[in-house]
Amino acid sequence: MADYNPYEMIAFTGSQVLEDNTIVFVGTGLPIISALHAQMTHAPNLLMIFEAGSLAPILELGLPLSVGDTRAANRACFLKGMCQAFELTQRGIADYAFIGGAQIDMYGNVNSTIIGDDYTRPKVRFPGSGGAGAMAASCERTIVIMPLEKRRFVERVDFITSIGFGDGSPDYRERAGVMGAGPYRVITHQALFGYDKRTRRMMLLEVAPGLTPEDIQDKVGFELIIPKEVKTMQEPSAEDLKLLREIDPEGYFLKRRIEE
Amino acid sequence: MAESRIRDISQLKPYERKFEWWGPSPEEARKILASKPKGIRDKRMTLKDAVKKFVKDGINLGIGGFVNTRVPIAIVHEIIRQGAKNLTLSFQSQSLTAEYLAGAMILDENHLSIRRAEMAWWAYEVIGLAPLFRYLAQNGMIEIDDYSNYGMAARFKAGAMGVPFLPVRDMGGTDMELTNRGKMIECPFTGKNVYVVPACHPDVGIIHVQGADKYGNCRIFGPYCTCPEIAMASTYTIVTTEKMIAGKAIRQFPNLTEIPFPVVDAIVHQPYGAYPGAVYGFYWFDMAHIRLFRSACEEFRKTGKKDKLEEYYNKYIFECEDHDDFIRKIPPEDLKRARMLDGGQPLLV
Repeated sequence: MADYNPYEMIAFTGSQVLEDNTIVFVGTGLPIISALHAQMTHAPNLLMIFEAGSLAPILELGLPLSVGDTRAANRACFLKGMCQAFELTQRGIADYAFIGGAQIDMYGNVNSTIIGDDYTRPKVRFPGSGGAGAMAASCERTIVIMPLEKRRFVERVDFITSIGFGDGSPDYRERAGVMGAGPYRVITHQALFGYDKRTRRMMLLEVAPGLTPEDIQDKVGFELIIPKEVKTMQEPSAEDLKLLREIDPEGYFLKRRIEE
Repeated sequence: MAESRIRDISQLKPYERKFEWWGPSPEEARKILASKPKGIRDKRMTLKDAVKKFVKDGINLGIGGFVNTRVPIAIVHEIIRQGAKNLTLSFQSQSLTAEYLAGAMILDENHLSIRRAEMAWWAYEVIGLAPLFRYLAQNGMIEIDDYSNYGMAARFKAGAMGVPFLPVRDMGGTDMELTNRGKMIECPFTGKNVYVVPACHPDVGIIHVQGADKYGNCRIFGPYCTCPEIAMASTYTIVTTEKMIAGKAIRQFPNLTEIPFPVVDAIVHQPYGAYPGAVYGFYWFDMAHIRLFRSACEEFRKTGKKDKLEEYYNKYIFECEDHDDFIRKIPPEDLKRARMLDGGQPLLV
């Protein structure tokens, strides 16, 4: 078995989730790495859109380190601005949103704004929504990447920045005026989650080799739906790891560590 | 009243923000543009004169670009040299520009201060979080109004369109619905809820582009970000440009003009105007220099000591006569590397 680190597992799993002939709205870092890996393996006609304004660029100049980066605009089919990227997304061209955040709850609501309950005097201030809030609302399906840590998988997020299924009621998103279908997958280094169709609650789909569903539940601050059959996550092969490390040779994103 | 169910699940203490325009109202913005002389004229001036003429205490400053892409660094440095108090910042996602202004505030708030920011994101992407934003926000030193990046884009676009608001398909159902100045309404046509955001008209828009003629017609390559919208929404716009384009060439390919002359008030020829940020077709960002600045900021946040910050500002801003002077302090090999990393994207300037 090849030796890999947590973010390589996350990037590889992200790649597996993306289907061919779709458009993924990507943010900086792991989403781009996953999408590039998918393009080089099972999804050659997977295309990317970047919020600063480029559609279907060819990322051959190196890994973009910013979504507004020259590298993210290289040889695009359509290169305009933020309005055009998000308006096409509202219209329905983006199949996947690929976002991160600081906290997530059982209905897939994500916080990237503050910790604390006082908006004017937060305990911790994060960068803010950026594109994520609009992507989670307007792309068809939302994929969230997050390290599996109890402080992140919480009963209630301190601030809902990116909409999930809200309180889980069937018409929460409709009453919020958003168009995309909503949460689809949550990718961590030790588990892959989806959502139960009936309750819209987070559901365990796969666990990393050597771990049990109970191990995963222990790291999550709310009750997961655990079906009878939980698959084992596929691990990246030596060839996959080679590709991933060629995509991010400096290890800007793949070599980061997760506190256990 | 139309509302999502966010109130049922929000963990925030109740928070009400009274609606007010954080800059000119749509009517005031319209009047200012309508009253300007429209003839095509030479708008070149020095950056010093442009900032002196347009940047005043208490204004809403609309910052163009995105994170480190085509960010108006030369203009921001000049604003810091001249000073401006009680600024409202409006932008999409910024790193350097907003942190530079925040650092100036921390060094001397009687010289430069930020009162509030309407924005989507404030950090450095791969390089890390923005230490000074954290410091100001966690200490309640600035008022913040959070939107998504499309929320801010739609607000600038509404300003550029001359309409008071635009409906958008996001932010409803999130805590931004409870905190920002947008509102949920019932759509008069579908009968369903739809979120609307107020126009954003900066008093002064600051933009850096690849090419412009002396009349203010601008070309942008690479992502536009929301630069055209910010220029059109602002009551006055200062543009710095990497290259001057002959007026004849503009008229030959008018399709390429992304910002038209009537909405530009000052044109400044300023090579490296976004450095240490990036300009598509000219140079990539200089990660080492950005880290140098950020580490001075981070040291202040962690220890409260201002020495490193002061040293940076003195060397790279206050002791520089202008932006050319700043660029002369950057080792030529760093500039060369930044140019090479851009990859030489094709331009028509």
